[in-house]
Amino acid sequence: MSLELKHCPILIAIALAAFLVLPSISLATEVLIFAIIALGCSILLGYAGLLSFGQAIFFGLGAYVASLSQIHLGVNFLVGLLIATAAGAIVAALVGALAIRRQGIYFVMLTLAFTQLAFFISYTLDEWTGGDNGLLDVPRNSVNIFGYEIAIDSSEKFYAFVAISFVLIFLALLRITHSQFGRTLLAIKQNEERATALGYSVKWYKVLAFVFSGSITAYAGGMYALFLNFAPLSNVELIMSEHILIMAIIGGTGNVYGAVLGSLFLVVVGDMLSAFWERWLFMLGGILILTVFYMRGGLISGLYGVFEFLSQKLGSASTQKES
Amino acid sequence: MDRRKFLVTSTAAAAALSLPTLAKASGGIDIFGLKSVSGNFASYGKFANQGSEMAVEAAGSVIGKALNYRLLDSEGNAGKAVRKIKEAIEKDNARFFNGATLSSTGLAVGKEVANVGGVFTTPVGADEVTGSECNRSTFRWSTPTFGAVEQTLRPLLELDPSIKSAYTITPQYVFGEALLTNTKNVLADKGVEHVGNSYHSLSEKEFSGYITNAAAAKPDLLVLLNFGGQSSTSLRQAMNFGLKNKMKILVVWSAGLDQYKSLGSDILENVYLGAQYWHEVQNPGNARFVELCRNKYGVNPVYPMAGDYIGTKIIIDAIEKAGSDDPAAVISAMEGMTYEGLTGEETIRAFDHQAIKDYYLLKGKAKSAMSDEDNFVDVISSGKSFPDENASLCKMS
Repeated sequence: MSLELKHCPILIAIALAAFLVLPSISLATEVLIFAIIALGCSILLGYAGLLSFGQAIFFGLGAYVASLSQIHLGVNFLVGLLIATAAGAIVAALVGALAIRRQGIYFVMLTLAFTQLAFFISYTLDEWTGGDNGLLDVPRNSVNIFGYEIAIDSSEKFYAFVAISFVLIFLALLRITHSQFGRTLLAIKQNEERATALGYSVKWYKVLAFVFSGSITAYAGGMYALFLNFAPLSNVELIMSEHILIMAIIGGTGNVYGAVLGSLFLVVVGDMLSAFWERWLFMLGGILILTVFYMRGGLISGLYGVFEFLSQKLGSASTQKES
Repeated sequence: MDRRKFLVTSTAAAAALSLPTLAKASGGIDIFGLKSVSGNFASYGKFANQGSEMAVEAAGSVIGKALNYRLLDSEGNAGKAVRKIKEAIEKDNARFFNGATLSSTGLAVGKEVANVGGVFTTPVGADEVTGSECNRSTFRWSTPTFGAVEQTLRPLLELDPSIKSAYTITPQYVFGEALLTNTKNVLADKGVEHVGNSYHSLSEKEFSGYITNAAAAKPDLLVLLNFGGQSSTSLRQAMNFGLKNKMKILVVWSAGLDQYKSLGSDILENVYLGAQYWHEVQNPGNARFVELCRNKYGVNPVYPMAGDYIGTKIIIDAIEKAGSDDPAAVISAMEGMTYEGLTGEETIRAFDHQAIKDYYLLKGKAKSAMSDEDNFVDVISSGKSFPDENASLCKMS
């Protein structure tokens, strides 16, 4: 069975389950958008081993570019998102090419610095970005294909669009991570010197990882702006990068489904707990510490562990029954 | 993940996530409070939430229907706030909202509520709310930057004609720029020389460089145009550099009692402060609110409590006046409505939905002169200053 055939039904089921089970369509929409964002982070952290605090740059950039291209160029939402994706890829290539010139803590510091730079640029260019007030009145311009008007003007239609994007992006990323490129990234993560000795251009692979991550994140950022009809400055804040990293780490970075779990956990649990407990972020910190100490593969590895335990129990119970 | 594992997971998730929705049915009229009770602005959101709760509890019911208060935590994030507003609208058919801490949240939420013709009252600082970004659904209680400067700097200059020069310290963003423009206008109008200005970023925590610049300019008056933690820090550092003995200091946009408690009377003594609300002001509306607050929480009210109490109460009063909970009728009732507010009689202007209320010039007093532990200031003057319809940027759609 091909990779796509195996995973496509699972991804569609996740999108359907989110729509049917979560308390509202808007919550389900946010979960899927942040799952895509966490996936973008997982490529860098889980496959290339790059701990980047720069994801907010691409997220914010995607939101602004998708919004501005629709407002000022009058393009439809699909073209707006494609422009945002291209912008994300270009900026990610630039940021990546500069940041990977240093390793370890210096790489992390560079990504922090780039995020601060992006924040202040967004803040200063208030005529374009709305500055501190954010960019308001972001439209969702409809697409006209051979006379047929395709609009995403209701929350149900918008969710359907996000769900299709979610399935396609996850399938594309599964293909990429299972390709020679993905395996090489893993090899670089495990032993960079050995990968270099084998003749791989490590820098080139790392920049490409940035490009994939940045373009996906920018696309998701664009969808987030269309979803809210608003692009807040907080999209480009350092705390957004932290938020994305926490999501990816808690969910699990070595598995694409970890991104879904990370998003589900942070968005939904946060949503439920904040109504009852104002200090719920305290618990989030505790869970992050526990994940780092005892569950390095994230919630997804814990979930697999539970399944294996249950499978063994069920297996031994059925064996005893038969005997 | 194989199919079997997926089915087990999704079933378990469905069971867990369906639980909270079971407990959310309600009758009567729901008023949704958008407060940042977690995240960076949790201390503000806590008081704001108490204010709205008090207003709903005090009213109990309106037009024969029970009032229900529902909290939405914005988590101090404008994006989260908008998503939760969308959720409340689609899931609970929510139409009545109050709150927002950040201006960006207030502006974006106002747009979202306007899309469904709901009602949103907010105390946020951004002048755009009742200016260039005004809309039919959004109503603002707080005095704009124009009124804050007019009701603090102008009376101070009239009170003390010996002030011939002034130096300003300004946060460099929309709100700070608006305060600076209004300050320059008043200084020019009163013939006072503006000897200099220092801009600082919104994330600045160290103000000694700006304070020494101000000291070097030797003005008669130092005008602080920042707010919250930044105005507290810059005021403390101005004290440390001995500026209070060399010049008068005015904080145009102070946060009220909560901020004064953290600063203490040693710092506040003889400092001039502008405020949206002061609990000692004598009028029937405020007397009732202070009593409510003391009975429920055992403290005097602070500004976030006051802002969200009155914002929530305005909605309830308008429902009563309209005799209906149809948002369109409530909006019509609110336009031009005069009510017993916390600063005396207040009116909501129909053309921009701005509440016309007093803004206060206060003066810090010595500890020995304080009649109780919260009596940090004397009210020097108060009044209403708002840009008129011709000067307003509001074009109501």
